[in-house]
Amino acid sequence: MGEGILEGIKRGQTVLEARGITKRFPGVVANDRIDLEIKAGEIHAVLGENGAGKTTLMNILFGLLQPDEGEIYVGGQKVSFRSPLDAISLGIGMVHQHRKLVAAHTVLENIILGHPQAGKILNRKKAEKEIGELCEKYGFHLDLGARVWQLSEGEKQAVEILKTLYRGARVLILDEPTSALTPLETEKLLASIEAMARDELAMIPFITHKLPVVLAVSDRVTVLRRGRVTARLETKQATEASLAREMVGREVIFRIEKVQVEAGEPVLQVENLSARNDKGVLAVDGVSFVIRAGEILGLAGVSGNGQQELAEVLAGLRKAERGKVILDGKEITHASLLDRWQAGIGYIPAERIDVGSIADFSLVENVAMNFYFDDEYARYGIMDYQKIRRLTEEIIAEYNVITPGPEVKAKNLSGGNLQKLILGRVLARKPRLLIANLPTQGLDVGATEFVQNKLMEARKEKAAILLISEDLDEILSLSDWVAPIYEGRLMGLFPGDQASREEVGTLMAGLDKKGQES
Amino acid sequence: MSTGKHRLKFEKRVTFAGWQAALISGLAIAFALALFSLIFILARINPLTAYQKMLAYAFTNRYGLPLTINRFIFLLLCTYAFIIPFRAGLWNIGMTGQFYMGALSTFAVVFAFGGKASRHADLSPELVIPLMLLAAAVGGAAFGAIAGFLRGRFNVNEIVVTMMLNSIASWLVAQMIKEGGPFMNPGGRSESFELPYAVYPPLIQEIPFTIFLALGITALLSFVLARTRIGYQIRAYGHSPQAAQYAGVSPFKIPFLVFLLGGALAGLAAYHYFAAVPGVYKISRNYGYFGDLAFYGIICGLISLGDPVAAIPVALLFGGLSIGGRFIQGELHMNFGVDYALLGVLMISLVAFQFFFRYKIVWIKTGESAHVGIHH
Repeated sequence: MGEGILEGIKRGQTVLEARGITKRFPGVVANDRIDLEIKAGEIHAVLGENGAGKTTLMNILFGLLQPDEGEIYVGGQKVSFRSPLDAISLGIGMVHQHRKLVAAHTVLENIILGHPQAGKILNRKKAEKEIGELCEKYGFHLDLGARVWQLSEGEKQAVEILKTLYRGARVLILDEPTSALTPLETEKLLASIEAMARDELAMIPFITHKLPVVLAVSDRVTVLRRGRVTARLETKQATEASLAREMVGREVIFRIEKVQVEAGEPVLQVENLSARNDKGVLAVDGVSFVIRAGEILGLAGVSGNGQQELAEVLAGLRKAERGKVILDGKEITHASLLDRWQAGIGYIPAERIDVGSIADFSLVENVAMNFYFDDEYARYGIMDYQKIRRLTEEIIAEYNVITPGPEVKAKNLSGGNLQKLILGRVLARKPRLLIANLPTQGLDVGATEFVQNKLMEARKEKAAILLISEDLDEILSLSDWVAPIYEGRLMGLFPGDQASREEVGTLMAGLDKKGQES
Repeated sequence: MSTGKHRLKFEKRVTFAGWQAALISGLAIAFALALFSLIFILARINPLTAYQKMLAYAFTNRYGLPLTINRFIFLLLCTYAFIIPFRAGLWNIGMTGQFYMGALSTFAVVFAFGGKASRHADLSPELVIPLMLLAAAVGGAAFGAIAGFLRGRFNVNEIVVTMMLNSIASWLVAQMIKEGGPFMNPGGRSESFELPYAVYPPLIQEIPFTIFLALGITALLSFVLARTRIGYQIRAYGHSPQAAQYAGVSPFKIPFLVFLLGGALAGLAAYHYFAAVPGVYKISRNYGYFGDLAFYGIICGLISLGDPVAAIPVALLFGGLSIGGRFIQGELHMNFGVDYALLGVLMISLVAFQFFFRYKIVWIKTGESAHVGIHH
C-alpha cells in the first residue's frame, strides 16, 4: 500500500478528503452525499445529534464500513479501505469512545500491541524512550508501567491516542473525546489536541454535545443533520446558538425558563448521612440537607465524589452507614427499595443502558420495571401487560420517544430516546421525590433541552428533585439550591440565584474560597 | 467470497422471528444427519436404510415408540431443570445430581413405609404415590437449592457448585444400593430393591401418567415466565442483574428460587424413570447412564433457546434418536455407541448453526470486485 503518502505533508494541505459519501442501511440513508475535507494541522470538529450519521461517517473514514457511493482521498490519492488496517497503514488513527485496551496489560504493552514491528524487531527500551518523548511533547502524564485497569478514563484515552500516534497516524479521528472526562481532564486533553495540531497533525473530533468545547479549540466545523452536511464553517464565525440551530434544525433555548414555584413542605430530609462505596471506603460522609416540594437541589461535583453512592442510599440500593433519611416526615433509612418507590421516590440512574433499562426487553417490559410491583399493574401476581402497554404508548407520545412501536427492544433506541422513556416512566409514577442522576449526560442538544424542561415541569407540579450533574451550567440554570460536593462532603449550600460559577467550581474541586486546598 | 458481480456477505440480524429459529434448527438437524451418514458409509451401511430403520423404530414401532416417549418425558423434565435457571441467567449443570437425589428420596419413602420387605407389601397407593412424587421433587429441590443459596448469598459460581454436587450424589447412590446398603436389592446385583406392586403408578396406553405431569409443567412454565410477576422478575434478572436490582428484584430470592424449582423438576425426572416406567421400578444398575443422559437437558434447553414449548420437539427428537440409535447399533452390528455419537454430532451441528441466529447471508450486487466483509 501507499506507505508514507502523508509523509512530509505541509500545514494547510489537504490530508483526508471524502467526496459524495453515501451509505444506506435498511430503511435509512445514514450518509447522504457527504463531503468533508481535512487539512494538515487543523482541528476540524464534526458535529451532529445522535442519529445524524456521525458514527457511520467515522466508520467509513476508518475503514470499518465501506461506502455505497463516493470516494475517499488520502493526500490527494484515491483509496479504498477494506478494513481499518488499510486506514491505519495510510496514517489514519481512531480514538474510540469505548476504549479498546487490554485491561490487564501495561500502558507500554497496550501501545505497542498490534504495532507492525511488535514481536519482530521492536526494541522495548527504544519504544519506551520514543513513547516517553511523545508524552513529553504533547503533555500526557502517564506511567508506562502501570496496568490499564488502574487508569482513569482520561488516562486510558491518552493511551489510545499514544497508540495511534506511535503507529504513525497523521490524522486522528476522536469519537466523543470529552464525554467521559472530568473538567480538569478535558482541559488537559484540549491542550494536548492543540499541541498535536501545531505539529501538523489533523484532528477530527466527532461531537454530539458540549458545544463550548468545540468553540474553544476547533478551527473549522462541519455540522451533520439526518445524514447530510447542513453547515461547514470557520469556528470564528460560529456561536453556540448558531451551531445548535444547525444541528437540531430549529432554535434551541439554552436558558431554561424557570417559573416561580412556591416551595412547600419539606419532602426529603437527610441528616448526617454516611455510606461506604463498593470497596468499603467512606464515600458519603455526614451529609445533611432538606429538599422541599417544588424545589430542585443541584448536587455539583466531579464524578466519583460520592454522588452515585448518595443517590443509591436514597433510592434504597445501598445501606446507610450512619444518619437518617426522612421522606414526608417518616423515617425510611432502613426501608426496602420497593417500599420507597411505593412511598413516592423515583430514581433515574446514571447508567441508563446497564441499570436503567434492559436492552433485550421490549419498551413495554422496560416500562414495567417501575410498575410490576404495583397491584394495579399485576393483580394476584399476574401482569396486566395490556395496561402497561397503554401506559407505554402514552409515554412514547408525551415524551416524543422516536420508535416504530412499543414492542421494539430497548437496544434499538438511541441514547436520547431511551433516556426520555426512562424519564417518562419514572415521572408517570408522579414521584414526591425525584432523584435524577446525570439525566442529560451524553444526550444531544435537543434531547437535553427536552429532559431539562420535563424536570422543570415536575418541579412545577411540586415534586422535590435532587439533580446530580457534572455539568455546572446545567446545575446553575435549573437549581433552586446548589450544593457542591467533594469527597463525600457538602462544601456549602447556595440559593440558585446567588451561586456563582467560580465559587461553586472552586468548591467542587476541593479548594476553599481563596483557591487553596482545604 | 465473490462471484462476478455479486458477493456474499454476513450481516448482523436486527430482528429474529420464532419460525426462523425453527427453520435454522431444522437445517442443522438435516446437516448433522448428512454428516453422520459418512460414518454409515465407512461402515459399509446404506445411510438411508440406517436412518429409515432408526426413525421407524423410534417413532412408529410398537416396541420402540413407548421407549421413545419414556425418554422424551425424562429429557423434557431435565430440560426444564436447565431452562428455569437459564432464564435467570444461571447455569444448572447439576441436573444429574438433583436427579439422583430425587431417586433416593423417592425410594426413601417406600423404604419408610416398609416397602423393601416384599414386592407384595400392602402399601396404600393413594397415600404413598403422592408422597413419592413429593419426595422426588423435594429431594431434587433441596439439592438444587444448595447451589442457589450459595449463588444468591455469597455469589459463589453455580456451575462449579452443581458440578461438584453431581459427584457427591453419584457416590451417595452407589453407597445406598451397594451390597449391605440400606436400599440394596435382596439379590445383590448393585441395584436397589424393587418397588412393591401396590405402588406401581397408572399407565395410559402403556405410557406412564408422568407424561401429563410433564406437559402440564410445559403449560405452567410458559405461563409463569410470560405472564406473571415472578416470571418477569426471573427474566429481568436473567437479562441484567443490575437493572433487575434497580427495579427491586431480590438478588438472593431469584437464584435461590430458580434452583429450587429446577432441582424439583430434575427430581421428578427420577420419579418418572425409576418408579413410573414399566419394567424398571427400581434404581437400576445402569443409573449412571441416565445420570449422563440428564446432561442432554442442557443441550435441549440451549437449542430451544429457553422456550418451554420449543423444548418439546427438541426433547422428542433427542429421545427418539437415542432409542433408535441404540436399536440400529444392534440391528446392523455396529461396534460403537451410535446413540451417543449421533447425539454428539447433532449437538455440534446445532450449536454451529446458532451462528445464523445472529447473522444472515446476503447477496450484494457490486460493480467492481469485492471482498468478504464480516461486520460485528
